Amino acid sequence: MRRGKGLTALTLAVAGAVTLAACGTGSSGGSGTTAAAGGGVGTACASPTTVTFWQQKFEDYQQAWYKKYVDQFNSSQTCVKVDYKVVPADTWTQKLQAAQAAGNQPDVVTTNYGNIKPGVAQGQFAALDDYLPASALADIKPNVAPFVTEKGKHWGYPMLVEPSAVLYINSDMAKAAGLDPASPPKSWKDLVDWSTKLTSGNVKGITIASVATELGWSSWGLQYNSCGHFPITDDWASARATDSCFADVVNLYKTLYQNKLMPQNPKVGYTDAAPFESGEVAMMVNGSWALGAIKKDKPDLLAKTVVAALPTKDGGTGETTATLGGWTLTLDAKSKHPKEAAAFISYLAAGDPNIMADFFKQAGYSKYTTRTSVDKAIAANDPSTTQDANMKTISDDIVAHGIAEPVYPWDISLAMGTAIESGMKGTAPVDAALKTANDSINSTIQKQQLKGTAPQS
Amino acid sequence: MPTTQATTPRKRLGSVTAEVVEAGTPERRSSSANREERRTAYLMLAPMVVLLGIFVVWPLVYAFKQSMYQGNFYKAPVFVGLSFYKYVLTDPGFYQSLKVGGYYAVIVVPGGMLIALLLASFIKTLGARMASFMKTTVYLPTVVSAVIASVLFRLIYADQGLANWLLGVVNLGPKNFLGNASMVIPAVAVPGIWLGLGITTLIMLAGLLDIPESYLESAQLDGAGFLQRTWYITLPLLKNVLLYLFVTGLVAAFQEFLLPLLIANGGPVNASTTPNLYIFNQFRSATPYAMTFSITASLVLFIVLGTISALVFRLIKSEKAVDA
Repeated sequence: MRRGKGLTALTLAVAGAVTLAACGTGSSGGSGTTAAAGGGVGTACASPTTVTFWQQKFEDYQQAWYKKYVDQFNSSQTCVKVDYKVVPADTWTQKLQAAQAAGNQPDVVTTNYGNIKPGVAQGQFAALDDYLPASALADIKPNVAPFVTEKGKHWGYPMLVEPSAVLYINSDMAKAAGLDPASPPKSWKDLVDWSTKLTSGNVKGITIASVATELGWSSWGLQYNSCGHFPITDDWASARATDSCFADVVNLYKTLYQNKLMPQNPKVGYTDAAPFESGEVAMMVNGSWALGAIKKDKPDLLAKTVVAALPTKDGGTGETTATLGGWTLTLDAKSKHPKEAAAFISYLAAGDPNIMADFFKQAGYSKYTTRTSVDKAIAANDPSTTQDANMKTISDDIVAHGIAEPVYPWDISLAMGTAIESGMKGTAPVDAALKTANDSINSTIQKQQLKGTAPQS
Repeated sequence: MPTTQATTPRKRLGSVTAEVVEAGTPERRSSSANREERRTAYLMLAPMVVLLGIFVVWPLVYAFKQSMYQGNFYKAPVFVGLSFYKYVLTDPGFYQSLKVGGYYAVIVVPGGMLIALLLASFIKTLGARMASFMKTTVYLPTVVSAVIASVLFRLIYADQGLANWLLGVVNLGPKNFLGNASMVIPAVAVPGIWLGLGITTLIMLAGLLDIPESYLESAQLDGAGFLQRTWYITLPLLKNVLLYLFVTGLVAAFQEFLLPLLIANGGPVNASTTPNLYIFNQFRSATPYAMTFSITASLVLFIVLGTISALVFRLIKSEKAVDA
């Protein structure tokens, strides 16, 4: 789909994120950007225009960060008042769909990269080019810009990039099992061996996604690593989920699950680092954000945590094992106050780089920037960020080889997630599960008339 | 208000009423009285008909119309005719959800009714004070929110939860309750039965207390044992209560979605995705036709449930009790 192209772009990303080299076209965000940066919105009005902003619930520090800067925006001027609401992730879609059905959808929402292009196809977003200053758009790093660009316009303002799959190892437990955390598992076979050796009594060797909705997106990197492509042809004309390389992916999960090397009924979802933090598991596959969670929740565990790239199928290095996810702010196509809503987006994500720099600081630098000016602000405010060994591993070994999230409709990813869950839990033989996914993908292609609609950017 | 007598013209000799004189022939009088009566009946039915029209009939008609238009909330809807009915009826997920709903109902309804009958029979034998204590105890789960019950049972079924601890004590564990496709529905059915037990037991008890004691006493004198009394007297006289509980329970169980959603999130691999949960998942999936698909699936489910209810009523006719 995006082989080669993604790698080059992301190598650039790391160069930007870690060495802080100015790989963009320079910044003009500067500090002291006000709400007026939205263009045409003043700072003093008789009565403010209310715009609604829904944020999907993330880690606690994120809610605190959003609240702080929404309040700051509201008190910085009297023309726009942001009505801010946090919506839990598992109820997000139905709440949003219900609001859209009732015609009272929020003006601004947090949208992940994977939903930008399908949303554009559905006419869900308004282009930001008409409302944001050109300098704010030019500040976006060139490797991130394609994630939010379609038909030559920007449909969301990118806030962060984060790899969706990273391997975390509890070095104390590894040493106790006679393993060397300094040379983490390289191949899928190694991963199974490590998990087997690290499983004892109630402590499981590893925790990894185990339900379709989470497998759907967290296994993208492994799918790509195993096959070099996703389970649909590049022109979205037909499914190709029955390739044997996808069976290898399912079998990896199946081995971990059937051999009870992972929790059978996990108490929390994939994105939660709690089982690793409490010592219920010795290894964890999770996004880079888990590093931020460990820093916040259990700082003493940090010294015992070793981060590594998720192993590749055959043990090769420098291959893709994770996709780069992340979040943007989007403006609703039906917003009654697009100018005012865009002023808020401009303030929060595209304005003073210190605002976003504070976000990355709160995240314990477990996420990556999307703007050149923010890199500069971080370098100026907190030069120690480049010293962290785990951060360096994520940048050099994972982000550098990561690829963008696939932009085909989510149904296709969910079909694959269902196949993996089905195979791993033994509700169907692996080949049959993949055949079902293949049929389901073809049915989606037919129902949504996807053939030939793959974005070309 | 006219009485029913007015429908048959009274022809009492020598007592022709003023009504008849005014209205002409008795036949004409009767038809005008009929009209009057019908008008009254319609007037009294009107509020209900209007409410049903606004809240049931019109939404149904509107839903049917919507099911023929594909569209999201941002683009003009496109007329697609009955394509979505084809999509729903050819979707293996829909049939799988009907199977799951049926399986859940088959466990929960008879299971719940049997336990409720035993409990009610037991409570009936107790003294007044003990009976009221038991009634309160049995009714308690009813006021527990299904959400709280789901969270509780999720913890109970966890790898190191109470259920596996108990199984461990008798050397049978651990079992993967929620990750195993064949165990998940029975696992979800347990809180399903527990939550419904209170009301079912109290209704059952009311039915039992309605059975005249003399029937049971005379049967006992004739030498009938407990099982015979239950089979030949109690159950036939409880028939209407049982029928009511069976039909309402079946439809409710078939439509259950909160417990499987919160306990197992419909998993593993849709093994606990009941019809309503399937529709809910379709609605909240980020597909461009989520709305149309879920509306169509709801209409199809409406027909399925209506058919099941009609069949049950046909098969088991309710009758008046012998002494009613």
